[in-house]
This record gives sequence, structure tokens and C-alpha cells, in this order.
Amino acid sequence: MHKLFLQVLAALLMSLAFSFFASSRSYDDIVDSGVLKVALYRDFPPFSYMQNGQAKGLDVELAKALAEGMQTRLEILWATPGENTGDDLRQYLWKGSNLHTTDGTRVKADVMLRIPYDKAYAQQRDDTGRLAHELVHMFGPYHQERWQLAFNPKKIEDVPTMAVFQYHPIGVEIDSAPQFFLTTAFGGRLRNNTRSFADLPGAWDAMSKGEVDAVMGMLSQIQWLDSRDPGKGQLATRTYPLFGKQTWELGMAVKDDYRQLAYALEDIMLTALKDGRMAQWASDNGFEYRMPPRYEESR
Amino acid sequence: MESFTKAGLLVFAMTASSAMAAGVTDKDLLNDQKTPGDVLTYGMGLKAQRYSDIDMLNKDTVKELRPVWAFSLGGEKQRGQESQPMIKDGVMYVTGSYSRVYAIDAHTGDEIWQYDARLPDGIMPCCDVINRGVAMYDDLVIFGTLDAKLVALDAKTGKVRWKKKVEDYKGGYSITAAPIVVKGKVITGVSGGEFGIVGKVRAYDAKTGALVWERPTVEGHMGYMWKDGKKVETGISGGAPGKTWPADLWQSGGAAPWLGGTYDPDTDLLFFGTGNPAPWNSHMRPGDNLFSSSRLAIDPDDGKIVWHFQTTPHDGWDYDGVNELIAFDYKDKGKKVQAAATADRNGFFYVLDRTNGKFIRGFPFVDKISWASGLDENGRPIFVPSNRPGNPTDSAAGKQGNTVVAAPSFLGGKNWMPMAYSQKTGLFYVPSNEWEMDIWNEPTAYKRGAAYLGAGFTIKTINEDYVGVLRAIDPKTGKIVWEYQNYAPLWGGVLTTAGGLVFTGNPEGYLLAFDDKTGELLYKFNTGSGIVGSPVTWTMDGEQYVSVLSGWGGAVPLWGGDVAKRVKNFNQGGTVWTFKLPKQ
Repeated sequence: MHKLFLQVLAALLMSLAFSFFASSRSYDDIVDSGVLKVALYRDFPPFSYMQNGQAKGLDVELAKALAEGMQTRLEILWATPGENTGDDLRQYLWKGSNLHTTDGTRVKADVMLRIPYDKAYAQQRDDTGRLAHELVHMFGPYHQERWQLAFNPKKIEDVPTMAVFQYHPIGVEIDSAPQFFLTTAFGGRLRNNTRSFADLPGAWDAMSKGEVDAVMGMLSQIQWLDSRDPGKGQLATRTYPLFGKQTWELGMAVKDDYRQLAYALEDIMLTALKDGRMAQWASDNGFEYRMPPRYEESR
Repeated sequence: MESFTKAGLLVFAMTASSAMAAGVTDKDLLNDQKTPGDVLTYGMGLKAQRYSDIDMLNKDTVKELRPVWAFSLGGEKQRGQESQPMIKDGVMYVTGSYSRVYAIDAHTGDEIWQYDARLPDGIMPCCDVINRGVAMYDDLVIFGTLDAKLVALDAKTGKVRWKKKVEDYKGGYSITAAPIVVKGKVITGVSGGEFGIVGKVRAYDAKTGALVWERPTVEGHMGYMWKDGKKVETGISGGAPGKTWPADLWQSGGAAPWLGGTYDPDTDLLFFGTGNPAPWNSHMRPGDNLFSSSRLAIDPDDGKIVWHFQTTPHDGWDYDGVNELIAFDYKDKGKKVQAAATADRNGFFYVLDRTNGKFIRGFPFVDKISWASGLDENGRPIFVPSNRPGNPTDSAAGKQGNTVVAAPSFLGGKNWMPMAYSQKTGLFYVPSNEWEMDIWNEPTAYKRGAAYLGAGFTIKTINEDYVGVLRAIDPKTGKIVWEYQNYAPLWGGVLTTAGGLVFTGNPEGYLLAFDDKTGELLYKFNTGSGIVGSPVTWTMDGEQYVSVLSGWGGAVPLWGGDVAKRVKNFNQGGTVWTFKLPKQ
């Protein structure tokens, strides 16, 4: 049951909880405390992960810059992803978790990174007609992402359309849009060649070993995998329309009543975006930075 | 002086009981239903009939029932209290939300000890933070935690005797069900986040916590036994992978047995129900997807699947098949039938031959079922294809897919809350709910930094006056003998007794007692918060006691729509209420 259940759980809890959890930390509280708490997804290269005991990734660097800009210390709250982003916003931002605290205190972050910046998502209504994400403010898009195909050139010459995967096995992450697409599109004709893995690195490894002939996942992750394990996969130059969004933007989120914090964080982020640090962080982590198009002309 | 006396009495009571206290044996567990002085099993007997022979409380006397003590679970954290108390030698063992266990003097309500599991940070359990109760064995009290561990506590002191990680909580695994102990083994399933998981039933040596066997509940996965420290293969569930699953989806097929199991000593079989298949969208996985949404009969010695019965093949509505299967006997043309019954989330009540899993009969136990027009002669649903939630490719180009209105809702015609079977009336007392859902593919969705395709849905009530319905059902005919309608959804367990009574609680906070033949409401008492736990009864010093937890929560209040409106003003709590008749 849990899957469907959680899909709307977040939305509902938000409306129920609106009055109960209205206290998170204001801009002044954060500055006074000397600590900025940032929620980042755990084990999520090349954005936020641990390597040799060090936190690494684009989002980690951005988090460091945000703390520095606020003149505070950085505290990372490693987030275990829920079944959808709404779960994460609830668990790490507006409600917090008290499962592991003895006194019932809810632990939450001041800001969470890699949250979609999408007007349709921000305006989404829950089943009672209220804004589903009204307890958070999503702002400051800093990265654009899209789906990407990589294939083993020794096995596949070219991928003009996804129909190639009627004949070649392809690896995808479990419960991702590419998996949904490949297991249902074209009357299910690609289904039997679709191999599901716990994550994209697992799929890439299988391609490396010749167990699948291609993988599909997020562009940045594919580029990062390619940079670590070069020559195993060729990145397709074409894009292949899946259902839903082809490209999307990622930004930040704070609790809705902390606009002053959001303005401050957005300014710090924009400085890093404009002075080239953001692109450098991406390239340090093995992928090419894609700036949200809205910033192109102002550059 | 008074406090001294109280303390003295408590010490005396405890010494007296420890002097008598013998460890719980397999025989004690097998006889639990016949021994009125204790409650040693979840379900008041391993068959989980939730029937008691005690008849001091009856249709005439129940109106005099009075609370004798109430015990607060305390703490800052409340949420749903779905536990069933256990009683042994005058001590009650009960679990609370957030993985807490309490030992309470059953005479006075005084706390003897409390154990709070320390939960790790980074825990994100898939489900609610409830717990349904402990298992008793030897001098141990054993329970599962929200971070998917099995913990055995010393019954006298509450100190940890052993602790085992059943699954990794980081994968979203959790345990909320009460474990069951059979033949010296403590047996548990696990709740799971849906993705990448494979449901498993595992048996551990109850005294030491050593793993004895594990049985995957998805076709294609190997089961194992541990013999003299060696891991031995015990056969692939279903024989081979891919028979009822496309591609490699069996490798992450879900089917979590999250509600635990029952046991039938006559056939020496464990009965475990399994959850829905993953991924959630059925169009991704054409096929029956065994053993999702099924009842499995498992050999308690080695974990082998002896038979299975699938209630919802190719589940596309999230009709978890976890609900309890209760063994019972009846006479058909003078011949004894060894049957078992279950009321499924999908709205159908099934009577099976428990020796082989064959379908005897099935019938709806809720008024509205839209997804199937009936059951065929083997008990397989006759699908209504237009009522299957949509194919993701229909939401191409970011359009919302078609909305399907399906009944029951995915919270089920009956959810986790256990029904009861009366050996006296031969009826099942089934806590059910009448609700439906809108369900559609939602393209405006994200998951961990990526665009995603979610499922959107709304739970809707069907009737103005009620959602919950307690029904007395004749398993031989499918006839509904009586029903009691409740405004809010029913979410608590049921108990029936030889005194001709049926007990349950409602979210409005009342402990309710009904006439088992007519459904007449004979007694009610407001416990101050919603009841979503399971009542028990036992005798102590020649008197009959009834106990139930009060504490509103569980899945229902997490919901929106018109169901939320019905429950939004119910207050949380966390109290054990204990009742008896006044002394003459």
C-alpha cells in the first residue's frame, strides 16, 4: 500500500500541519546561531555524497558557499529520499522528523537543495483544492537537468529512435521515468529488454560489463559516470521524448514564511552562478554545468 | 504510609507473580485460546480467531462494565496506538507508537518498566510510526522496531537480551506487526518502501535470535535455511523466475508481508499475507505477479511455501493482500471442513480449504466493488478492464491520464484491523469501510531531483452517514447477519467472547460492545481518543477483564478529501484502558 499512500500523504499532512509546525528558524535566528542547516540527498553523486570521509559534489559546494555567504558554519542534514519530492519537503523542511529524538523535537533543515523549480509543481493542488506545497517556498533555480542515453558503441551503432531497444537490453534505475517509459511505451515492446537497477551507477556498471548495451538516466549522472569510467558508453547526441518533462530545473526550498532567508540565499547562489564557480564545481565533479536558460541573457 | 503500603503491595504482587512465573513454552502458545488467565499471542490464540471462552461478561452484565485503571504511554510523541496487549502472570506487555514497550502491573496499572528503542537519524520509514504488539516466549518479550530490527527484552527487567537487524532501514524497511512464535521460532515479515525490495518472511530462534530460515515472497528468489551455521538453499519461491513477471521486474517485485502471520496447528502451517507488487503501475508488469497480494501457507520448519492463494492477481489498485487468514472449522452436510477465511482489501471475503489453499467460496463484504464483477469458480476475480488505473503512456506529453473511480479505495474494504471469529455463533465480525478513490497518472511529479510520473488520487466517501461498518458475516453462506454503521472509518481490531459479545473501538473514541447475534449496541465508553488498537480479555482473581489501547492515528488521518473532514477534530492520545465488572 505504501507507494500510493505516500503520494498524497505529504499533501495532506501539509494542510493538517499548517498550524502546528509554523516555527522554523528565521534569517535572524540562523545568523545568531552561527549555523546554516542544509538538507542534501545522501549518496547522490555527483551532487552530494561522501568520498574518503569528505562531503563532495555540486550541491555540497553550493551549500558551503551559502553558509559562507551567511557567515555561518555549515551543517549538512543528509536526506534519505522519499518516494517523491513532497515526502522530502515534509520530512526535512517543514515538518521534520522526531523519530530519533527522545524529547520529540523535530529535526529539520533551513534550506533544502535540488528541489524542482517548476511553476506547475509549485501551483499543484491537493485533493482538497489547497496548494499541495503551500508550506514551502521553492526558489532560486541553479541547475537544469534532462534525460540522457548512453550506449555501448561496440554493441550498437546508433540509436535513431528508442525502437532500437526491441533488440538491445537497456539499463535504468528502478522507479524512474525512463523505467516507466521503457516498460510501457510502444505497446510494451521494449519491456523485455529493460533491466532495472537500484541506481544508475549499477546500470552503468552492467553496461561496462557488457550485460546491457545502453543506459538511460539523468544527464549529469551519465556524464559523471562517463568521466570515471571512460570509453564504456557513448553519449547519444539525440534526445528521446519520454512522457512528461524532457528538461527540468532544480533550485532551493525553504519554509514558506522565510522569504528573507530565501532572498539572501538566492543572492549568494546567483553570485556563484555568475562568477563561474557553479560551472567549476560541476566540472570538478565530472559533469558539464547546464545553467537554467532564464539566466542566459543576464550573463 | 499509604505509599509504603502501595509499594509493598506492588513488590508483593511482583514477587508472587515471579515466584509462579514460568517461561512461556510452545505448549502455552498452542493453548493460549483455552487459558483464560493469560493472553500470550497476537490474535488471542495462534489462529488469531480473537475469540475467548470467558463468559462472565455477557449480554446482561456488560452494561455494568467499568474502567479500573488507565495507563498513559506518555512522551511527546503520540500518533496511532494499534497495539494489542499481552497478559502473563498479572503483568501486561504492550507496545506504543515510536517503537516503545511497556510492562504494566495488570492489577493496578503501575508501570514496571518501559523500553524505548533508539531510532537512528536518517530513518524514513515507509509507513506510519505505529506498532501492533509483542510476541512472548520463554522469559522474553519480542517486538519489531521502526528501523526493522527484532528486539528481545527480558520480561522482568525490560533489558535487551538480543537484537537482530531484519532489514536495512536505509532502504525504507520497517517493522510494525507483532511477530509470531511457533515451535520455538519467532517469525516476522517486514514493511518496505516499494522500490527495489523483495518481501521476505524470516524465522529466528526465539531464545537466541539466530536466523533459522528465510522465504522470499516473490517468485524467482531462493529461500534459505541455516543449519549448523551453514546457509543451505531450500528452493526458489515459485520454482523459477519470470513465470508471472515480465523482464526482470521480479527482482524488485515488492509483496512485503508487512502484517505478520497466523498459525494453524492442525495443518502445521503458517499463513502470511503479502503486499502489492511493485512498481505500482500495473501496465509495467503484465502477468499475475506472484506472490503479490496473496495468502501463503508456509511450513514453519523450513519456510517452504506449501500453497498460495492470490486474491488480486496483477494488482493495479494497491490492494495489498496482507490481511489475516484465520483458521476455523465448520460442518458441511455433517462433514467437518478445515477452512480458513480472510477479508481482503479488494472487498471480497474468501473461504479457503486450509489444507491445500483451494477456493471454497467468496463473496463481497462491502456494498461497492467496481474493479471486478465477481469471482470465478477458482476464486479468481473477473476484472472490469475499464476500471484499471491508466497506462503511463496515456499521459504522454505531460497530460494527466484518465481518472478511474475505483471501489474499494486502496485503504481497502478492510485494512489491517483484525476481524474475529466466534466459535459460538460461527460468524465472522469484520471491521470494514465503504469508500472509493479517484486515481490517475500524475505527470507533474518529482523524485530525488528528477522528473517523475506519480499517481494522483483522492479517497472519497460513498455514504453521507457512515464510512465504517462492522459486519457479522456467515462464512457458510456469505449472508450479512447484522451490521453496525459508524460515521468515521473503522480502524480497530475486534474481539468476540462466549458471553455473546463483540467488542471493538471506533475513531470517535468509544469502546463498543455488541450483541453477537443481533448487533445491538449494549455498551459504550469514551476513552478520550480514537481507538485503533485491538481489545483483549482475560481473567484475574476470578474476574473478567477487558483491555484496549486508545490513541487516534494510523493511516486514516493522513488522508485528505471528505474522509479527512470526518476525522480532523479527533485528538491524539496514548492510553491503555482496563475494565471489569464491579465486585458484587
